[in-house]
Amino acid sequence: MKVRPLDPRLLRYAVSARWFLAGGAALGLATTACILAFAWLITECVTGAIEGRGLTELSPYIGILAAVALLRAGLVYAQDLIAARGAAKVKSELRLGVLDAVRRLGPSFLAERNSARVATLLGRGMDALDDYFSKYLPQLILTVIVTPIVVFVVLLSDWVSAVFILVTLPLIPVFMVLIGWATQAVQRKQWSVLGDLSSGFVDTLGGLATLKIFGREFRQVKRMRSITTAYRVQTMRVLRISFLSSFALELAASLSVALVAVSIGLRLVDGSLGLSVGLFVLLLAPEAFLPLRQVGANFHASAEGVAAADDAFALLDDARKIPADATPALDHGALVSGVLSLRDVTVDYGEGAVAAPVSVDFTPGVLTVLAGPSGVGKSSLLAAILGFAPYSGSVSLGGHPISSSATERGWLAWAGQRPSLSMGTIADNVALGSDKVDLGLVGRALQLAAAPELDPDLPVGVGGAGLSGGQAQRVALARAIYRALDRRCAVLLLDEPSSALDHATEARLLDGLAAVARTGIAVVVVSHRQAVIERADSVVRISPRSAVTV
Amino acid sequence: MSAASKTGRRETFAILRTALPVTTGGVLGVLFGILAALCTVALLATSAYLITRAAEQPPILYLSMAVVGVRAFALGRAFFRYLERLASHDAAFRQLETVRVDLLRRLIPLAPDGLGRSRRGSLLSSLVSDVDELQNLPLRVLQPLVTSVGVAAIAVWVVAILSPAAAVGLAIALLAAFLIGTLVAARLAASAERSLAPRRAALVDAVLDYLSNLDVLIAYGAEQSGRRTVEAADAALTRALTARAAGVGIAGASLSLFSGLAVAWSLVAGIPAVSTAGSTLSGPALAVIVLVPLAVFEIVASVPLAASAWRQVRSSAERIAKIAPADVPAELPLDGGSAGWAPQPGAPVLELSGVQATWPGAEQPALTVDALRIETGERVLIEGMSGAGKTTLAHVLVRFLEYDGTYLLAGQDVRNLPLESVRGFVGLCEQVPYLFDESIRQNLLFARDTATDAELTDVLDRVGLGQWLVARGGLDSRVGERGALVSGGQAQRIALARALLRDFPVIVLDEPTANVEADLAESLLRDLLGATNDAGRAVILISHADVPASIVDRRIRISHGTLQSVAPQSPL
Repeated sequence: MKVRPLDPRLLRYAVSARWFLAGGAALGLATTACILAFAWLITECVTGAIEGRGLTELSPYIGILAAVALLRAGLVYAQDLIAARGAAKVKSELRLGVLDAVRRLGPSFLAERNSARVATLLGRGMDALDDYFSKYLPQLILTVIVTPIVVFVVLLSDWVSAVFILVTLPLIPVFMVLIGWATQAVQRKQWSVLGDLSSGFVDTLGGLATLKIFGREFRQVKRMRSITTAYRVQTMRVLRISFLSSFALELAASLSVALVAVSIGLRLVDGSLGLSVGLFVLLLAPEAFLPLRQVGANFHASAEGVAAADDAFALLDDARKIPADATPALDHGALVSGVLSLRDVTVDYGEGAVAAPVSVDFTPGVLTVLAGPSGVGKSSLLAAILGFAPYSGSVSLGGHPISSSATERGWLAWAGQRPSLSMGTIADNVALGSDKVDLGLVGRALQLAAAPELDPDLPVGVGGAGLSGGQAQRVALARAIYRALDRRCAVLLLDEPSSALDHATEARLLDGLAAVARTGIAVVVVSHRQAVIERADSVVRISPRSAVTV
Repeated sequence: MSAASKTGRRETFAILRTALPVTTGGVLGVLFGILAALCTVALLATSAYLITRAAEQPPILYLSMAVVGVRAFALGRAFFRYLERLASHDAAFRQLETVRVDLLRRLIPLAPDGLGRSRRGSLLSSLVSDVDELQNLPLRVLQPLVTSVGVAAIAVWVVAILSPAAAVGLAIALLAAFLIGTLVAARLAASAERSLAPRRAALVDAVLDYLSNLDVLIAYGAEQSGRRTVEAADAALTRALTARAAGVGIAGASLSLFSGLAVAWSLVAGIPAVSTAGSTLSGPALAVIVLVPLAVFEIVASVPLAASAWRQVRSSAERIAKIAPADVPAELPLDGGSAGWAPQPGAPVLELSGVQATWPGAEQPALTVDALRIETGERVLIEGMSGAGKTTLAHVLVRFLEYDGTYLLAGQDVRNLPLESVRGFVGLCEQVPYLFDESIRQNLLFARDTATDAELTDVLDRVGLGQWLVARGGLDSRVGERGALVSGGQAQRIALARALLRDFPVIVLDEPTANVEADLAESLLRDLLGATNDAGRAVILISHADVPASIVDRRIRISHGTLQSVAPQSPL
């Protein structure tokens, strides 16, 4: 992984990050002023007392000291708030940005990647940015602002001490980089081992029922113990080296303070330096190192956050490469109708087309069944019509060419193999995409989809939780039928609509589909079920060679 | 407080106790931590002493102790800190063994039916991260707390020797910062924190909903409304995060404030003692009591972080206690009997009468079986709609669920038999077979670890995976995480191969075609039942889909949790 203090893509994709940096810089300047004032005031009071000045004489200084402390506390609070707000803002910007990027990349992109992984990236993955923003970045800003100013002030007061600090300061990043490399080398060697060991626990818990069936559960306890021991041994091997990096940090910082203190002490003894300068410099020396030490300590947090953001940035970069759709799209606002014609359509996901070119017409009022062996590309053909899959050949409706990009097709209603229900009531799901829920039409659509018994007000959980497979399938069908009737769609496309239904329900569904076709809609059903094929007005068999109407 | 929440608290603390390494390593870690922190304070104190004493221009010999001290403390700080980290991490990882094994032991009697039926996948992954979170109890809660309290006490004591008044001020400032930093900030942040977890979950749900339904949302022109749901969930989470920061930020700010005030108070207490004629405090001592608070507060700054780490650790422990209670619900079998295996000759291989079973937490029994008899070698289909009680029956048969009534295996009352003997006799191929992220060989071997490669290849041939095995590159190729590289039908075949290796006399196939493309289902069923075609093995096939009449001997219908026999000659 590239080690960069600040990823420029963060500023490009998350505008809030810029505000966060600007605010942090302003607070950093104020903090520096407080640090200098605080050190100076303490020095004045201590040396004053030693010179014999009394409390009444020094009390104004002490009063200002308390005020500076209060101001500094306020700055700390502001810094925390800005960090939290900045992190939250940047996270939501990236989150929604990625969501839109995925939308641009389309469903075929998600088919290649696991949508659960993208969801994890947007959920817990983004949370890794919290530490980056609240711990790493503010300290980075302070390093850039506080350290140079403090070193400059020390230089003005006592150049010898400034030389000590300037010599030791660069050692910190140098050590960090060297030890960072060593850690990575060890980590790379152990990476696969560590991955196996940490996933072993998840795997055991997930497969516990299976282990019980085979009576292996207690043997697994023993295995778990040895896996975890191996995990500890390997992890400690990595940690021993990576802790060296913080060891070097602490050592450089504290030794440099020690050197400064001893050198000041010796020069005070021979009288070549005044106490007030000595004390002032002693108080400032640790402040020069503090932000850099914090940056080093939080470097891992930053690396994790940047790694999480890396995936998001990669997605955003991919989406930027997609050219705007050039094909003139069929205006989906207009009521288009007519015959849906496919001419020499082949779908190719990049691995060679499965089916031979398909040419077929779907006529309004006709119930057509697409049949063919599994894997021949029936669903791919639907994906092409929907604009979800790249294809060659042409698709047109009533003579108008159809764009090949994934946008809403106003003339088309579709239900895929997965029900893909959303959170909400059944009615919300059935009326998806329409501005107003027509309850009468919802009832009718459920009736036509052989699901009159389902209560439209019944809530549905994430991913259709709460419904059986057959119920979810029929809700998805009702959703497509609702749209077809509501929008007067020219075509209703259904992929294996009865796969989870018993014979009686399937028969009722087919009655419903025939009724939909009679309203002048071209109903296209992908199915291999005999009962469905028997009810079709027309059957198109897709074979690995060509399509022939029977 | 109700009895239930009291038990919950007890269990939470029992879990937290398992995460504490009360070992030499753990104690050493704390000790090294205190030494490192003491070095930090001592470094600043001796430096201040050295400089102010040097300004009095004594003979250099008087300063040599301070010079050595400054150097030693500088080295000691880095050195002890390194040792502390090594010792405490090693101890925490050792403790992880205990924590994981303890959790595994808790989960064994619960799995699978005591773990919630719907969201098992996400439940387990959150459980695993909660267990990992427990490591923070020693590392990020106790270590900084013990170090801070110890060092603060020692510092106050040392300052008290020089100036009791300054020590009182320092103690009060530390106490105030401690109270505000932990209690007040916790009160302010806690309510926001409580709402964080549900809001995070709502956001992930909304994102998943959007992503997994993207094709539908696009096709229905509803992406915008899906995006708005995500936006709303995101905004709610952002509000909670900002509210929490407003609370937590008070802790950091109060530390900074009280550190400054402690310095100011030390000056107020110390200056008169130095400047008056009969001075009771030397100049160097004044420098020490003024600067020590700065160093002590640097150490104590870890307390608010420890407090928020504690809140996270505790809620992780609470979640673990809830998911994996130590008391197994009555609906799950805890221990079997101890009778030896003594089949009665001539008895049916499996017989149920008057059996009822209920899921944990459910009011009504999910299954009632008046009578079910299965003879040796019989193939019985149990068919019914989803939710009719088919899986309940399967889980009763392998003793995942407890039952009322009589259940006999080869004439022996199952209640008298150890759970292992029942599970050695009745095998289950789960609806979603679990494949471990290992090689094909490992995924088969755990069914019978003495099997030779030839036997493994044979059994894969029998279930119709011979060619697949060759195509995948042999027994050493992997099946992917959770069987990602294996289709639903192949997973069922592997599950059956395991059952055949184990040679169960009774095999229950739970919906083998549920995750298989419809037009492949029939050939899969034929292959599965063909592979089990041994003399004497009984097969119970559970299915909601069509099953050709020819491949089973008998059909039984299950509906609304009740079994009804269907005559063998009944028409389709």
